[in-house]
Amino acid sequence: MIELASVRKQFPNSATDAVENLTLTINEGEVVVLVGPSGCGKTTTLRMINRLVEPTSGTIVVGGRPIDAMPVHELRRTIGYVIQQIGLFPHRSVAQNIATVPTLLGWDRATITDRVEELADLVAIDRSMLDRYPSELSGGQRQRVGVARALAADPPVLLMDEPFGAVGPIVRERLQAEMLDLQRRVAKTIVLVTHDIDEAITVGDRVAILNTGGVLEQFAEPAQLLAEPASDFVAGFLGSDRGIKRLSLLPVEGADLSEGPVVSPDTSISAARTIMDQHDLDWVVVVADGRLVGTVSRGMLRGERVGDRDIEPLAARVDVGSTLKDALDAIVSGNGRYAAVCDGDRYLGLISTDAISKRIATR
Amino acid sequence: MIFGQAGDQPLIVWDWVWRNLDAIGSRTLQHVVLTLVAVGAGIIISSVLTLVALRWRRTYTPITWVTGLLYTIPSLALFTFLVPVTGLSMLTAEIGLVSYTLLILVRNMVTGIEEVPDHILDAADGMGFTARDRFWRIEVPLALPVIINGVRLATVTVVGLVTVTSLIGLGGLGFFILRGLRTFSSPIGTTQIFVGTALSIALAVAADLSLVGVERALTPWRRRRSS
Repeated sequence: MIELASVRKQFPNSATDAVENLTLTINEGEVVVLVGPSGCGKTTTLRMINRLVEPTSGTIVVGGRPIDAMPVHELRRTIGYVIQQIGLFPHRSVAQNIATVPTLLGWDRATITDRVEELADLVAIDRSMLDRYPSELSGGQRQRVGVARALAADPPVLLMDEPFGAVGPIVRERLQAEMLDLQRRVAKTIVLVTHDIDEAITVGDRVAILNTGGVLEQFAEPAQLLAEPASDFVAGFLGSDRGIKRLSLLPVEGADLSEGPVVSPDTSISAARTIMDQHDLDWVVVVADGRLVGTVSRGMLRGERVGDRDIEPLAARVDVGSTLKDALDAIVSGNGRYAAVCDGDRYLGLISTDAISKRIATR
Repeated sequence: MIFGQAGDQPLIVWDWVWRNLDAIGSRTLQHVVLTLVAVGAGIIISSVLTLVALRWRRTYTPITWVTGLLYTIPSLALFTFLVPVTGLSMLTAEIGLVSYTLLILVRNMVTGIEEVPDHILDAADGMGFTARDRFWRIEVPLALPVIINGVRLATVTVVGLVTVTSLIGLGGLGFFILRGLRTFSSPIGTTQIFVGTALSIALAVAADLSLVGVERALTPWRRRRSS
């Protein structure tokens, strides 16, 4: 969808190249994050795609057409653009801001009005906000209006320069989640610049790690970056908690589950004790018709059958769709070594800290 | 004693005011016309100079230098220089008045445009505004508060300066001030000075307030802030 071939940028009055020689292919419908320390040319690279910065040499092709094959303002109207400061026009209402590109393209009024309302709904901006001015909105609302404005003419490509840089950490996390949710619906080709490696790992389908001078150190999926950093620079940039970061990317599905000390409510308490002994544990998991009921510990066994006494709900449980980080959290929060993995109510097995370590070690 | 010689004489002869309402009316109108023409012509000339200064940055310094020089010439001297060329005419008066508006107007116009934040321009460029669209639809509207501030300042300055054109036979309300000065010691004289001065001040205040109204009407987004 976007191809950069041997792109170089040297700014006037600068001895060194901002970007030396960058070749990068971005596929249709994926979120690619450019990340690196300041001075790595990530923003310059982004701005070359919509020609806010003209490359010194090399070629850039977007959607099969070289970017200099059409007038620059026409190119930009086909590429959504979101910046850190958002850059909403303060003298225009929210609706007028969202309608910016359709207005430039000369759409008729009715079409524009419909499109603005559709976009307001898409980014969860209440329609009553449309007549307000940007100064009347909160930071998070402004950011969403900025995204709506960028999407207005349905451009296939979206460029985002530190889009979540202007909001606090809590709002940022929410906006990142909203963006991923939005992306599942609109499926744009997104190039996003950030200096925050955690943000890159969270939102990127693939992450390009750039070093000073726009040197591409590694371009891979987040999980692979964390598992196999291509250089010391990449490893250093990812940070010392690479293993922990991988936990949040790997799903529980795929880890080794053990069946565990499973009993049914009808199991006699002597059989339950035997199962505990076999597993060298002081508790059993109670499962009825494949559904997780709860847990009973050795000291709580009374009567004839396991089900004769109240069965405690099992605190340490995770859904099969969650990440290893959630599983580990459930285990340590539950003060034990295992967490039950369920698909809805259905019991799938136990995941142990050992299984998590093993999953991290193999990729 | 500053005013007249006898304490029992009134400072303002209201009778004179009632007898001369027609003259006061027509002189006020003349004052307004002289001001409007001067500010209007000033805005047109300054707009052209501003476009030149923004298009060719190197011209900005010489433009401020020349308009600044015009601003510093004493008005009395300026009219004296002009009379041999353009005579005792409306044109002479307007040339003088307009030259005092240029520095204020050009400086506010250029500053207003330059103060539009970079990120807003970046967003406009990124979305595909042409340079012309960006200028007229984004930069000029956002510069309006600063530009109108300049117009207010220029207008108030001109309202005051119009009185000086009484020296070349115009003057608006300044006509009464000049005539009053010539018969200073009489109650009629002080009355005329009072009428000319008070109405001139009232005009300046009225013009300023109406321009505040214009600004509020043109920049509705500045009145509403986040609650």
